[in-house]
Amino acid sequence: MIVSPLPFALTLLWGTVVGLDLVSVPQGLLSRPLVAATVAGLLLGDMASGLLAGMVLELYALDVLPIGASRYPDFSVAAVAGGVAAALVPDALAVGIAGLVGLPMAALGGWTLQKLRRRNAVSVQRRLERVAHGDGRAIWELQRNGFLRDAVRSFALALLGVGVAILVAVIPWDRFSHARFLSWAVAAGGIAAALGGAIRSAGSGGRRHWLAVGLATGIFAVVMLR
Amino acid sequence: MKPRTEALLRLFAVQASYTYERMAGIGVGHASAPLLRDVFATRSVRERREAVARSADFFNSHPYLAGVAVGAEVRAEQDGVSGAVISRLRTALSGPLGSIGDQLIWAGWVPALVGIGLIAAPWVGIWAIVGIVLVHNLLRLWITAWGLDLGLREGLRVGAALQRSWLPRVADDAQRIAAFAVGVAVPIVARRVLLPAPAIEATVAIGAATLGVVLSLLPATRFRVNGLRFGLVLLGVAILLVGGLR
Repeated sequence: MIVSPLPFALTLLWGTVVGLDLVSVPQGLLSRPLVAATVAGLLLGDMASGLLAGMVLELYALDVLPIGASRYPDFSVAAVAGGVAAALVPDALAVGIAGLVGLPMAALGGWTLQKLRRRNAVSVQRRLERVAHGDGRAIWELQRNGFLRDAVRSFALALLGVGVAILVAVIPWDRFSHARFLSWAVAAGGIAAALGGAIRSAGSGGRRHWLAVGLATGIFAVVMLR
Repeated sequence: MKPRTEALLRLFAVQASYTYERMAGIGVGHASAPLLRDVFATRSVRERREAVARSADFFNSHPYLAGVAVGAEVRAEQDGVSGAVISRLRTALSGPLGSIGDQLIWAGWVPALVGIGLIAAPWVGIWAIVGIVLVHNLLRLWITAWGLDLGLREGLRVGAALQRSWLPRVADDAQRIAAFAVGVAVPIVARRVLLPAPAIEATVAIGAATLGVVLSLLPATRFRVNGLRFGLVLLGVAILLVGGLR
């Protein structure tokens, strides 16, 4: 599958934007897989596959609470790579291949976030004296450098993720006898992630009842839609 | 640009230089700078520098509510409160702002909006996504401005003002809505993805998902079995089963 230069460049730009959105600026929901993968699919001319990939990867992201210093996977650029992969393979395999590319990328992205924060800390150490003396210029430099570092991190991840997605899409998946199993595996993992996360975060009080009522409503809607 | 507007814009990048040691301290210092410049315009350079240094110390809170601390600290500086008291104020605000923000935003409105997006997306496509992004960013802008203004108005009394405010109550409601929305969304997404699967394969997938939920909740495994790891294991099994080329 050949991707022409303009959509390729746009997906890299989009990957950089969503990578920055996760932590640095502006945290405006762009980094959620539902948004990131759908737009990636749209840029490659197959929004429906991108949306489907985004829906499933979003189930995984719902398990993540990005609280304080906790370490968590980065589903932002991973979802762009997943959306690209989904748009480049046959529809029946979109979810499976999106997961195959997106899930390892999310783990890698989480690791790069830790590296970024440690690199930021080194940068702060270098300007510690200036910051301690109230040098506004040093604070501005730290902010600017942190932003640029995250932009480089996001761009590199996007380049890797989109590159891997294009390479994976070259494989003739539809010629494997049970390639569809990949989609069922990714979906099952996503359902487990979203439900496990929701039950844990609901605690033992009334919120668990709301989750149960929501689940019953969802199942009812699914049965009625048949 | 007015100092308040500049501070408000800078609050959107409060975590740009996030570290495990100072958390969002540098970002808070960066956001406070325009307001401090205004407050200290007629005071000595040494006083201003001390205030700037304090503003960039360790600080941790939910990023959307960091404006509360920025506003309160600047107001306290304006009122001539001593540096030691202002530092204690920052420390005292970290916990509540982090806790309420995490409950309201990360565990409340974000999963609620995303859940609504997942429910609506199969029917309205990209408009569901446009809608949740717009609503989120309007709320984000509003709560950031509200927090900054609350801090600027209340100063040292901001802790009590936070307790009296709508935040704790709405945080609880937002989590209930999130639990409901995610509950509705999961079967809808599952149906959308597993619809083409033969009945036996769909049943195996649902069984595997149930196993994953149970494993992630067992006390002995819940910190090791998260959604991503479980998904990667299932993917590994599926790769072994995809079979040879036809």
